[in-house]
Amino acid sequence: MITYLLFLGTLAGIYAILALGLVVSWGQAGMVNLGLAGFFGLGAYASAILSGAGVPIGLAWCLATLLSAAAGIAFCLLTRTLRGDYLAIVTLGFAEGLRLVETNERWLTGGSDGISGIRAPLKSLLPDAFPSLYLAVTWAVVAVAVVLLARLLRSPFGRALRAVRDDEQVAAVAGKSVMRLKCQAFGIGAALFGIAGAVYAHFTSYIAPDNFGVQITIYIFLAATAGGYSRLVGAVAGALAVMTILEASRLAATAIPGLDAVEIAALREFAIAVALILIIQWRPDGMFRMTNQRAGTRPVARPVAADVHS
Amino acid sequence: MAKTTRREFLIHAAGAAAVGAAGFGPMRARAQDSGPIKIGMIIPLTGTTSQYGTTMSIAAKLAVNDINGAGGVGGRQIEVVIEDDRSNPEAAVRAARKLIDIDKVVAIGGSYASAVTSAIAPLCWESRTVLFTASGADSITRTPHQGYIFRTSPTVTLQGTRVGQFAREIGAKSFFFLGPQTPFAQSYIDIISTIFKEGGGTGGGLIYEEKRASYRTEVDQALRAKPDVVILGGYVPDTGVVLKDLFRAGYAGGRIGFSFGVNQVLAQAIPAEVGEGAYSLVPSASEESTAYKTLIAKMNLPSLNTYSCQMYDHVVLAALALANEPSAPINGTTLRDNVRAISQNRSGQQVFDAAAALKLVAAGKAVNYDGPSGPLEFAENGDVEGVYFRYEQMQKGTMALLKVA
Repeated sequence: MITYLLFLGTLAGIYAILALGLVVSWGQAGMVNLGLAGFFGLGAYASAILSGAGVPIGLAWCLATLLSAAAGIAFCLLTRTLRGDYLAIVTLGFAEGLRLVETNERWLTGGSDGISGIRAPLKSLLPDAFPSLYLAVTWAVVAVAVVLLARLLRSPFGRALRAVRDDEQVAAVAGKSVMRLKCQAFGIGAALFGIAGAVYAHFTSYIAPDNFGVQITIYIFLAATAGGYSRLVGAVAGALAVMTILEASRLAATAIPGLDAVEIAALREFAIAVALILIIQWRPDGMFRMTNQRAGTRPVARPVAADVHS
Repeated sequence: MAKTTRREFLIHAAGAAAVGAAGFGPMRARAQDSGPIKIGMIIPLTGTTSQYGTTMSIAAKLAVNDINGAGGVGGRQIEVVIEDDRSNPEAAVRAARKLIDIDKVVAIGGSYASAVTSAIAPLCWESRTVLFTASGADSITRTPHQGYIFRTSPTVTLQGTRVGQFAREIGAKSFFFLGPQTPFAQSYIDIISTIFKEGGGTGGGLIYEEKRASYRTEVDQALRAKPDVVILGGYVPDTGVVLKDLFRAGYAGGRIGFSFGVNQVLAQAIPAEVGEGAYSLVPSASEESTAYKTLIAKMNLPSLNTYSCQMYDHVVLAALALANEPSAPINGTTLRDNVRAISQNRSGQQVFDAAAALKLVAAGKAVNYDGPSGPLEFAENGDVEGVYFRYEQMQKGTMALLKVA
């Protein structure tokens, strides 16, 4: 039971890192990134291939993060004329394209066989403590990301990002370099997706293109939406909530008598869909809703009345 | 937008928490030294690979009834816990972790798609849980699994070899392989090329993009090589399109496909003249055996795919192996060490019925269990040996059996 919970906790941590990336690029800068699975896979493959070639795992993580960030910035420059739905479509295509590369470049990625036997830090030395250790490492990454992002988003940079999100033209008139801000936000988001991928690859020790399909994108959007897509705390809470829904539905469904396995499986899919609909219906802003800053006061997130949020 | 007060939110939150808690209540972990012996099954019940999921889970449950009806393992009942892999390796890993950590299963069976099996295999051998798999990818048994993996489905190499040999049997001197990118596409091309070269023949292959509406370009490229036979490596939707394009191009040579591409579903989906004469190689349940006949009678079906037969055998193998050494602790290692003793014991009595086999094992007799999926003999690396194939041909819109070998 304990190992199972540690395992879920680690996965929830990885989801939280992904959701944080989404909060930066979508919640704060207004760019919908449906290609997060692509960056997630890029980080995973980069780290797995590098560590397989003998690069130390810590360095492989850093390189995977940088590669993912660079890909994000390059992607943002390529799509600089696109906004809103159009950008979302192109990001989806990017993820699908990367998945095809992962499937077909067998010399590098092993094709649809995937890469197995990815090394994990300290696993051979401390096999028993590994699950709890890795949980700690994952949540340390989450904590560092939250602290750094919180500082960043409170800074003038964060305010400028939100200005771009709310109205690009107004931000440009106010003298902000919209293009640059968007690329920075997209790059930070991509970096987070990349490191989540690296953490994931060394955790499960096996990756294949199937891991990086649309399903994970949906889960992360569900997490960000459930938690509150513009808030860091929302990303973390949302990731925990999604993992709880996913796994509690498994355990809860078996408690219903008279259902066979096929019906339970269908019911679980249904439960997850219903959860998403209910969240959007009742709490479209998620558990932690967007807060407005007041001019002239310290830019601290304060609880505000429900009717002033944007 | 509706405003939600704090009180309402708390009510909703409490409701959600209660639903979550309700799930955890009855699921307390039980050690495997009391209560029923648990065997996990990871089966695709939803998603792209779920076409056999329903019959697979019914077959597994039937095996449980048969074993428990014969007295269970050392007086203890067995129980299968079925989890859905959602045709996705990530979801399968979560399911496997739950089976291993919460249910404390001695073995995991099912495990159909190769990506799913590759993903859960390390969890199984690290936790000393036996993995029975129905996947084909050769790479699975090349892992350092310490004997914990048993494969009941023929490997890709074996299927490719049989297709290559069959293509030469029907007189082909050259072949062309057309298939989507799968863990086996390149292996098929390599294996079949080797077989053709041995006989002085030639061949080539092309890996195409899955789920397209037309394969004209690919078919043109294949026909430029003027092959005597086109080997179809795709699943049903692509294979249907490729066959139509071959028909339009006026190709008159042979066409051979695999069970997952050329089958009755395809025969019904395309016009009869398009598929006329296409061959298919199907890993066969041992359809002549009494084990198979008994199973389909119990399931009330005219015939049953080999994968569902394998699910039945996964459960039976686990139960018989544990019953074979009643003094040993009930765990994955005991199971691993006893599988071959009941499945391929040359001096044992050959038994086709799970209940009869269990009674003999309980009485301390040596048995050699042959199940509905085949003779169940495993090589050193865990691959199944002595598998039968059905050679079928599409004739007037239905699959006709040519031979079983």
